[in-house]
Amino acid sequence: MNLSHFDALAVFALFVSTVFGLITKRTPREQFRYGVFVFFSFLCVAVVVGWLMYPLPW
Amino acid sequence: MSNESSPSTVVEPEEIIPELPRLNLGLTIAICCSGFVLPGLAHILLGRWIRGAMLALAIGLMFLFGLGMQGELYGSDLSQTPLRLFGFFADAGVGLMYWLAEHSNLGAGNMSARTYDYGTTYLWVCGLLNYLAILDAFDIAQGRKP
Repeated sequence: MNLSHFDALAVFALFVSTVFGLITKRTPREQFRYGVFVFFSFLCVAVVVGWLMYPLPW
Repeated sequence: MSNESSPSTVVEPEEIIPELPRLNLGLTIAICCSGFVLPGLAHILLGRWIRGAMLALAIGLMFLFGLGMQGELYGSDLSQTPLRLFGFFADAGVGLMYWLAEHSNLGAGNMSARTYDYGTTYLWVCGLLNYLAILDAFDIAQGRKP
C-alpha cells in the first residue's frame, strides 16, 4: 500500500476523528459535528505546522 | 408604609436527569474484556449497535491499513527497551487482531518501506483508540453515559 504523506495523514485523521466523535459526544448529530471538526482540525494543524517547519534548514 | 412584599424567590425546578441503567461490576468487566478482545463488541453487547459497528469498522480498518503500510507490531519480549514496551502496550490494545497478526507474522515491518513509520503509528493508535472505546463502554455500563 503506497499512500502519499498527505493521504496517510487524511486517512489517519478520518479514523481518529470517527472514534473521537463516537466516544465523546452523546447524540448522533453532536458526534457527526465533532468528528468533522476534529478531522479538519487535524488537516489544518498539519498544514500549518508543515509551513512553519518549511524554512528550517535541518 | 408601602405594602411591598419581599421579592419572592423563584425556585426553578431542578433539571430532571433520567437515571441510566447500571450493570453490576462483574458484568461490566466481562463486557469490557469482550471489547478488548474484539473492538466494538462491548458497545454491541450494551445495545449500542451502530456505535459498536462503527468503532469496529474504524479500528479494524486502521489496523489493516497499518499492516498494509508494512508497519511493525511490537512483541511482548520483556527484555526489550522500555520504549518498545510502550509500543507493545499500544499495539496489544486491539486484542485478538494483534494476536492473529503476530502469529501470522504479518506485523514484521519493513523499515525500508516509505510508509513504515506511518504504518507503525497506525498500529499504535488503533490499539490506543480501542482502550478509549473500552473506557467508554465501562462508563455506559456503569450508567454514567447514555
